Amino acid sequence: MDVRPGMQKIPLIKPGMSPGEIVKTVRSAPGVFFSSTGMRDAGQSDYKNRLRLYDLKTLAPYYNKMGLFSAECHGGARWHVGILNRKESPFEEIETLRELMPNVLLQTLVRETNLWGYRPYPKNIIEYVVSKVDIDVWRCFSFLNDIRNMRAVAEVVMKRGRLFQPAIAFTQADWTTNDYYLEIVSQVVDLCGGTNEIVLCIKDMSGVGSPKRLKVLVDAIRQKFPDLVIQYHRHITDGLAIPALLAAVQAGAKILDVEEDSLTRFYGQAPILALHAYLEESGFPVNIERTEAEHAVQKVREWIGQYDWAESPFKGYDHNVRHHRMPGGAFPSSFEQADNRGFLHLMPSILKMMSLYNRMIHYFDVTPGSQITWVTCSGIVNRYAKEKGEGGVRHILKLLTKFIEEKWQRFESMDPHEQEELLGLFQNAPGDFKNLLLGDYGKLPMGWPAEWIYRSAFGDEWESRIKERKDLSPLDALDDEDLLMLRKTLSEAIGRKPSEEEFILYLMHPKNALEMIEFVEKYGEAPLVLPTSVWRNGLKKPGDKVEFEFWGKPYTVELVSIGAEHEGLIHVVMRVNNNTRVYTVETPRAKKVAIRMAKGLGDVGAPINGNVWRIGNPERGSLKVGDIVHKGEEIGNLEAMKMENAIIAPFDGQVMEVCVKLNETVQEGQLLFILEKS
Amino acid sequence: MTASYDDLYERNDDVRMYVYREKSDRMKRKIQRILVANRGVPAVRIIHTCRDRKINTAVVYSTPDRLGHHVFMADSAIHIGEAPPTESYLDIDKIIDAALKSKADAIHPGWGFLAENHLFAQKVIDAGLIWIGPPPEIIRLMGDKIKAKELAQKANVPTIPGISDVNDVKQVQNWMKDENINFPIMIKAAAGGGGKGMVKIENAKQLAQGFSQARSEAEKSFDNGSLLAERYIERGRHIEVQIVADESGNVVHLFERECTLQRRNQKIIEEAPAPTLNDTLRQEICFTATRLMRELGYTSAGTVEFILDTRTKKYYFLEVNTRLQVEHSITELITGLDIVGIMIDVAMGKKLPFNQSDIHPNRWALEVRLNAEDPKNFSPSFGTVTRFQVPHGPGVRILTGIYEGADIPPYYDSLFMLLVTAGVDREDAIRVMDRALSRNLRIEGVKTLAPLLLSIIRHPVFIAGDFSTHFIEEHMDELISTFKEKNSEDEVLKVAKYVAEISALGPQKWM
Repeated sequence: MDVRPGMQKIPLIKPGMSPGEIVKTVRSAPGVFFSSTGMRDAGQSDYKNRLRLYDLKTLAPYYNKMGLFSAECHGGARWHVGILNRKESPFEEIETLRELMPNVLLQTLVRETNLWGYRPYPKNIIEYVVSKVDIDVWRCFSFLNDIRNMRAVAEVVMKRGRLFQPAIAFTQADWTTNDYYLEIVSQVVDLCGGTNEIVLCIKDMSGVGSPKRLKVLVDAIRQKFPDLVIQYHRHITDGLAIPALLAAVQAGAKILDVEEDSLTRFYGQAPILALHAYLEESGFPVNIERTEAEHAVQKVREWIGQYDWAESPFKGYDHNVRHHRMPGGAFPSSFEQADNRGFLHLMPSILKMMSLYNRMIHYFDVTPGSQITWVTCSGIVNRYAKEKGEGGVRHILKLLTKFIEEKWQRFESMDPHEQEELLGLFQNAPGDFKNLLLGDYGKLPMGWPAEWIYRSAFGDEWESRIKERKDLSPLDALDDEDLLMLRKTLSEAIGRKPSEEEFILYLMHPKNALEMIEFVEKYGEAPLVLPTSVWRNGLKKPGDKVEFEFWGKPYTVELVSIGAEHEGLIHVVMRVNNNTRVYTVETPRAKKVAIRMAKGLGDVGAPINGNVWRIGNPERGSLKVGDIVHKGEEIGNLEAMKMENAIIAPFDGQVMEVCVKLNETVQEGQLLFILEKS
Repeated sequence: MTASYDDLYERNDDVRMYVYREKSDRMKRKIQRILVANRGVPAVRIIHTCRDRKINTAVVYSTPDRLGHHVFMADSAIHIGEAPPTESYLDIDKIIDAALKSKADAIHPGWGFLAENHLFAQKVIDAGLIWIGPPPEIIRLMGDKIKAKELAQKANVPTIPGISDVNDVKQVQNWMKDENINFPIMIKAAAGGGGKGMVKIENAKQLAQGFSQARSEAEKSFDNGSLLAERYIERGRHIEVQIVADESGNVVHLFERECTLQRRNQKIIEEAPAPTLNDTLRQEICFTATRLMRELGYTSAGTVEFILDTRTKKYYFLEVNTRLQVEHSITELITGLDIVGIMIDVAMGKKLPFNQSDIHPNRWALEVRLNAEDPKNFSPSFGTVTRFQVPHGPGVRILTGIYEGADIPPYYDSLFMLLVTAGVDREDAIRVMDRALSRNLRIEGVKTLAPLLLSIIRHPVFIAGDFSTHFIEEHMDELISTFKEKNSEDEVLKVAKYVAEISALGPQKWM
């Protein structure tokens, strides 16, 4: 077996190897492998995805020498939060990490047909996007375990010669039996043409798998598919991760997900050093250079203090997660939302509502399912709290408990007034909840929910809506979208040809991508070069400075002074490489002088900056509202630097408004006339 | 003591123009203080030579130019009115008053504004001041495009087929029919210059609108609405010859310049020598120009403009510019002369210190005009110049009308800086220009033509020297596509802007 250069006995796995070679190496190597989630899921689960590339990349040199199976550094919600909050492009991230850790397989997480967005995309978009992203390991999950939905991603990844890692969503419930999972795994193996070119991931996103359950499940899969390489991805929310991970290894799992001990809080992955020691003591050697892992753990301590603000307000393990099943990746953001919107005190009730909800409607609590659960359940609880107070919340929880535990969810066996109340339960449910019931995401793992849920969600239309319900995968149900047209729309929005990367950002998150592009045009590479303290707080005292390398040259930005606010403006004096510069910063109180721009069909805008020296033309004189103008007729004239520029009527029409005054200075694009076509 | 106009000139009816009186009358003229009746780049240019010559300078300024670069450079400055040129830089009486008040003994008009206004020149002389420029009567004759064309024809200088004194569209149509002329044609202000009041008409449909535009611009810019129409020379090259002449009848040409690269009939890149000409044609054009100016009795500096039809190698007289031109710098660089200095000397009655045989250009020079305009659409860009770093290094000459922190007001010409480079040959001059434009120039606060200029001098067609006056319009999209997207200086300022905003406002909601 090839070993990694400079690393004793650690089998060689690196980018460029075929999936077959990688799988063969893992199968034949003694011991266990680690994938690090330090650059993605760790930050998502405990720091709302705010860990910046600036800091994470300091781990790359250690990862490069650590002997990791892979580094998960891409995908999931990190993608979206990157463009929304950190203003980092996922493409820049891959490029940077690829350069700093060329020996490490880069791993992403995709949500089958939803990729890195929140809606099912048609096949042509999936194929286009997957073929453009330079990732080695594609972990792909379905919150419905609807394996059909993985087909498009699987095909492109496998055709590109990259490693496809189908992930089966795991939870511990009465319906998620061995038989259920063996059926799912069989579908996976069929989809991927066997077990030789894939790694199967068991995705325990909520961190609920008990050691015993894992042992039994992995064992069952191994018995049916002895060659299948199994990776166990587990969050630590319930506090039982380390024994559960050992149990999985004992049953034959070969790869485990870990993160730096110093990053570990309550909802991410297991600590690498601790797990390493525990496995070795238990007789399972780990293919890892421990010294490098120790360096990485130490490195994290240098910057993790910058992110205290991003941690969940809800701290500590939560063993009750096995009931409410909130995934680790959703913990900080859900609690933050509750905090911001003033319902943090309702969280225990919401978690309880989720526990009840997921016994009525079966799917897996991971994106986008977890968002549907969260929005639906927090909505119900908030509605009750608002309308009927805390007593009302207690009442509905009690009613549902009775419905589930005493009446076995038999709707008819409830009293008429209780039935009435149940029918009100989902009347304000979000659109995505309704789309889920209609099959827009694919089919639900245990079949469609009970009829009363449709009656509740759709009211009088419930029967006709059930008829619309689809059993098809979105891959088969959705028509291809016109990529050329989409690209053109983006070009028009940004006024230039977009790059390939910008286009993909736009395909996933159109609105946020436009904001991101605007941000980058305004602030350039600030998100990449500024240390986190400056990124978040700026420079505080005169003389404070930030030094960085930029395009191969040294730069220093030093604060000289921050002026007092005056009429919504603050003047900030800075020295940029010793050159003094004054920046005028608008505060939220700045007065905005609104200039009307030509937008609509009948709007005539200024072709250049200039002075309106004539309205109308010499033949007919000035123009006023109600005048009729003819196509090609001069309706005004702008002068700029002694040159005249005729404003020509674009069509025959009537003047509805003259928007400028004579001798007014106007800017390019400013609205001059509104005409109505005749 | 200054001499009045009548002291200097007398009417000679044989040549139908004014000629100088005896030399002895003229040697008394002394210039100790010059009032520069201009602003921006031309004013600064003239002040440079005055400083060389230890001549005092006075300038005039309008309200928005109170802190203008020319005001700071001059020894004294007089406020003459509000922003509109008619209330300041075009107000003859105010300027002459200012000259008298500042005790100047001469006025240099620069270029633009009143530089080719013969009434102004005459009033300067009438006020007992020395006019640094050609005689008013010559300005008058040459300023009338129709008269100028007649005089050129009289001097056997080839002219473009056309008609003058056009009053309506019908006349143009008749002329085109009679002379069998096809579109495109040019409608020009008889009193025009600098591309103003000049409209190219591509087809019959554009005729009426173009005609009235030319008339209106002519009235506004020159206070004179008379027009002429001419055949349009397709793919023509614009060649002009620099002339200097003294009052003793010495007329010397300082070779030619090529100003073919234009947009909207305004030059933006000029070079000397003209890459189009071979030596025979060069000698022929230069001597034709010299002959014309000699026959006109020209004095001071002036330029004879021609259009060269590259297909037929025929050249046609366009006009005589009776002033210092923007692009004089490149002639100075190839000859080593100071044309403004020569104008001052001639105005003082001195003889040219050289003959034609003394003039040996030994450089290639290139000039680009930095206008405050959007390089993508030429939309004017005015405002405060927040950063201004100009190129240095071998072969570079800078003439700037602004300084860092100055305002570029919207009321005047958009030219704020001339960048001139010289080398042993064309390739060398282009290389220096590339360095100057791409590496050292830094202007923030207003948009400039710099990206466009750089794209042009890097374009293979420009490098090959094979272009027409349409080059820019024909290649605009291509030129824009080669604008350099980013440089580290600009990019780092974006980072600094971010730091400034966060420092002032603290962590943001969206974070």
